[in-house]
Amino acid sequence: MAQVAVRNVVKKYGSLQVIHGVNIDIADGEFVVLVGPSGCGKSTLLRMIAGLERISGGEVDIGGRVVNDVLPKDRDIAMVFQNYALYPHKTVAENMGFPLKLKGRPKDEIAAKVKKAAEILALEKLLDRYPKQLSGGQRQRVAMGRAIVRDPQVFLFDEPLSNLDAKLRVTMRVEIKELHQRLKTTTVYVTHDQIEAMTMADKIVVMRDGHVEQIGAPLDLYDRPANTFVAGFIGSPAMNFVLGRLEGRDGETVFVSDHGTVLPVPAGTAPRPEPVVYGIRPEHIDVRPGGIAATISVLEPTGSETQIFARIGEDPLNAAVRDRVASRPGETIPLSIDSQRVHLFDRQSGKRI
Amino acid sequence: MRSNTVGWLMLAPTIAILAVFGIAPFIYVLYVAFHHWNPFGADPLMTYNGANNFRRLVFDREFLLSIAVTIKFAFFAVVSEIILGYLLAQLFMREFPGRGLFRTVHTLPLIVAPIVVGSVWRLMTTPSIGIIPYLLKTWFGYDLNIGRDAGAAFLLTVIMDIWHWTPLVTLTLLAALLSLPKEPFEQAQIDGANRWQIFWHITLPMIRPAILATVFIRLMDALRTVDEVWMLTSGGPGAATRYVGLHIWKIVFPKTDYGYGAAISVIVLYLTLVMCWLLYVALVAPRQKKEAE
Ligand SMILES: Nc1ncnc2c1ncn2[C@@H]1O[C@H](COP(=O)(O)OP(=O)(O)OP(=O)(O)O)[C@@H](O)[C@H]1O
Ligand SMILES: [Mg+2]
Repeated sequence: MAQVAVRNVVKKYGSLQVIHGVNIDIADGEFVVLVGPSGCGKSTLLRMIAGLERISGGEVDIGGRVVNDVLPKDRDIAMVFQNYALYPHKTVAENMGFPLKLKGRPKDEIAAKVKKAAEILALEKLLDRYPKQLSGGQRQRVAMGRAIVRDPQVFLFDEPLSNLDAKLRVTMRVEIKELHQRLKTTTVYVTHDQIEAMTMADKIVVMRDGHVEQIGAPLDLYDRPANTFVAGFIGSPAMNFVLGRLEGRDGETVFVSDHGTVLPVPAGTAPRPEPVVYGIRPEHIDVRPGGIAATISVLEPTGSETQIFARIGEDPLNAAVRDRVASRPGETIPLSIDSQRVHLFDRQSGKRI
Repeated sequence: MRSNTVGWLMLAPTIAILAVFGIAPFIYVLYVAFHHWNPFGADPLMTYNGANNFRRLVFDREFLLSIAVTIKFAFFAVVSEIILGYLLAQLFMREFPGRGLFRTVHTLPLIVAPIVVGSVWRLMTTPSIGIIPYLLKTWFGYDLNIGRDAGAAFLLTVIMDIWHWTPLVTLTLLAALLSLPKEPFEQAQIDGANRWQIFWHITLPMIRPAILATVFIRLMDALRTVDEVWMLTSGGPGAATRYVGLHIWKIVFPKTDYGYGAAISVIVLYLTLVMCWLLYVALVAPRQKKEAE
């Protein structure tokens, strides 16, 4: 186990720069999730930590040792790839025991460790099979097993669940989390799925275009997103954004959208001349008498909650409510916004005000 | 439902060609092998003599010797070609200036007819004319005379075969290497494997089918080499490079002993099959059994 530090790391492919000075501090035993849209450089960063890509600038530090020039085999890390990268010509047991075999460990020790890992992951019955004889979920488990027999300093996962179906994904998510709680090994986990990030992480790193947008605990990111990108990325369904200004009216500050809709803001907000972005999460909008009148465009009942796609004047607003909604599209309903949970961002920079 | 007749009709031309040019001659050779037939000998008529031709083989020292040198030749040639071919394939996997040109040039020997290869090498090695003896003489003071030196002649036939056929091995192994997924290799690096361990535990097992297929192809080819060696050494000096193909040729054409020649051909075919089968049993079958379990 070890802490990991990424300091001012830069990655260039020729003249193309894809990572622009990233800083991340990962404490010993922490579960860190790198999340961001496709192509933002998550895999590249992970592969630099693993040593599979050269680091063009800055340094990566694992357990107090700068590893820029250390070969992957000497970094004492284990990695699980998106497509699992099992050795097709080796059985499950051989796949899992391979790292130990390379270290020249005695056969019975390898067998014992493989057995133990197989028990943890419910793979005992599959030890003699070849990868092609396994289902996707089983392969995924074998790849995890190979990682845990190592007892490495750091686990690296690159979208390990993205090839599984939705249900299995949830199961494996829980299993990985349990495993981490049990082993307490420092983990860096890459995903583009913000739900995975929210549910698994101790700390989330949100990336975009090779920059870190925000680092923080899942609920911090949810409650206080640093900018519109993070606000829109974290949380599902996504946050509503309305463009407008903060104006003073009758001694109180209100938000007035570019289309003229007036929306409430947190108490104590000062008016400002610069245009702003008004953000409110769908789950913080409720249907309540006395709310702002909105026209329903589409209703999406999911059973546990109902999503209402509505319009206030020209401004689209999406609400998610626990109760069933009796109204129909085209009708008007009163929407009430929880003004304490409104997020305001500067429109120019996108930064939180 | 698709008609079976149509399928057979489509196959008919191929089957006909195979029958006329493949199966019929083979049956004819088999037929001749059980006869005494030497149209220019004392008894020119074709007469049935049972397995006598085959009996004669067992006591034919020249034949046994030719089998021995053929196997030696095939072994050295094929082993060197596989190793060299693999190394070249690995080289072509890397980026270096002039790679495309080098790769093209390196495959040129493949398109040269064996008889031409033989003549060119003959020209290059003829004492006092060829460039190779000249260079060896001026650089190392070594006198190369493949007309006299049995060892040198043998070695030269092996080198010629390597020169001619290594590109084939390179191309097949390169294709195999290029088709490998890259994740297992990255995984192996992370698992702690060094270069040699990656080669031994990952690369080799993964390109093993390609290697085996290439070994079979090259082995069968090497066992029936005739034309190149005929041009280069004519089987000499003595019988040092008289590989079994040449041996058959000598018996069938100059000596016109067709029956005996046919018998040798049949036996050589049989030996080739047995050797490939042994290789298969030793290398391929146990693994497939293991995987099927
Ligand atoms: N070998 C390469 N040469 C040039 N550019 C590359 C190379 N590998 C990746 N890139 C670029 O680097 C950027 C980051 O790629 P990366 O694979 O890290 O994205 P990612 O965040 O993992 O995306 P995804 O979620 O789709 O896996 C992309 O814009 C990609 O085009
Ligand atoms: Mg990726």
